[in-house]
Amino acid sequence: MTDEQMAQIGDYVLGLLEGPELNAFEARLKQDPALARAVGLMQAQLQSLDDTAAALPASPELWTSIERDLDKAPLETAGTVVPFFRRSRPMPAAWFGLAASVAVAMGIGYFAGTLGGSSPRQPVMVAVLLGDSDAGPGAIVEAFADDTIRLLPLERFAVPEGKILQVWTLPDADTGPVSLGTLTDQGAITLAGPDLPLPSSGQLYEITLEPAPGSPTGRPTGPVLVKGFAKAPLI
Amino acid sequence: MLLHMPQAIDTNDLLLRIAKGERPALAQLFADESARLIGVALRIVRRRDLAEEVVQETFVAAWRRAGQFDPALGHGRAWLTTIARNRALNLLRDSSRIEYHDEDVLADMGDRVGDAMAAFQALSDRDALKHCLGQLEEPKRRAILLCYVTGLNHGEAAASMNAPLGTIKAWIRRGTIALQECLS
Repeated sequence: MTDEQMAQIGDYVLGLLEGPELNAFEARLKQDPALARAVGLMQAQLQSLDDTAAALPASPELWTSIERDLDKAPLETAGTVVPFFRRSRPMPAAWFGLAASVAVAMGIGYFAGTLGGSSPRQPVMVAVLLGDSDAGPGAIVEAFADDTIRLLPLERFAVPEGKILQVWTLPDADTGPVSLGTLTDQGAITLAGPDLPLPSSGQLYEITLEPAPGSPTGRPTGPVLVKGFAKAPLI
Repeated sequence: MLLHMPQAIDTNDLLLRIAKGERPALAQLFADESARLIGVALRIVRRRDLAEEVVQETFVAAWRRAGQFDPALGHGRAWLTTIARNRALNLLRDSSRIEYHDEDVLADMGDRVGDAMAAFQALSDRDALKHCLGQLEEPKRRAILLCYVTGLNHGEAAASMNAPLGTIKAWIRRGTIALQECLS
């Protein structure tokens, strides 16, 4: 371990990494077992500081609230996270068919989202997506509690023949990048993504250019056009 | 404090059962760990209702993510503590949730320093962590304890310790490197 790595482990375990730095570190943790072990070791060693906190019995209604949430929250076992969305796994040919059907399902989600009721909803998180150039923001993502996002393009992206724009998010390093759907035209649209944990502050959203009808591997393969990190609106 | 110390093996076992969708195992984990985690969260979020909210989210997350728990990479108690700490830190960093007036901020800072130093004092003398933290110069030790125990960020630790931000960052950097070397 270099001093730089140890300093980063220290910052991470102390809860001092935030936003992009935190996301990058957590992504490295998944790929570097030695780093993960060093982090686990320091967390275990500092646990005795947590053990000095005075225990406080939970109020009687806390367990009831948890049970209520559980009825809404699906269990994330290996079986319920569709392997198609998993990062860094070889892609069996059979999954390619699924890729197409997922894209179709998302298209249905889009129509359901636009046709079903137009009452204004409050987003849980908002992300302003920026490109590399100084052209200003390229799109705004509003993420809702029901796994849908509303995408509001602010810039027209050049999409060559045979290519398509695809929207991604990185819920956490474990899950890896998850496709939220593809854009066939560049108006404001609502996309229904797969079942994911509630979007959180600092969560990455990005749009990449992929071969139509969508990334063949289930993860971003093309250039990132714009990206941004989610932040909770003050409402 | 040591009246009820659940065995690590039990926590691991419960998490493996939770991963299979056994809700009674989650209820048992809640019975064993909720009071401890409320205490951990309270030192960071400073309000009982918010600490309970953190623990609520922690157990829902444990239910959803138990399948990702790997006993080979560390034990369940630390895994659960890490989830609770992260939730508490997110809530603390989400400044819209906790509003302070100036005098409250000063009192809050004072309470946090008190909690941070009390946590250090309460460590067992046989704990290598106490020895290694004790080896650090006082400002480095204090900065690390403020951030870890009470969840302050660099800027808040700088304000609390009346030191420049860059100095705080350097103290924490050198302090955590020395700590890892001492503990290894």
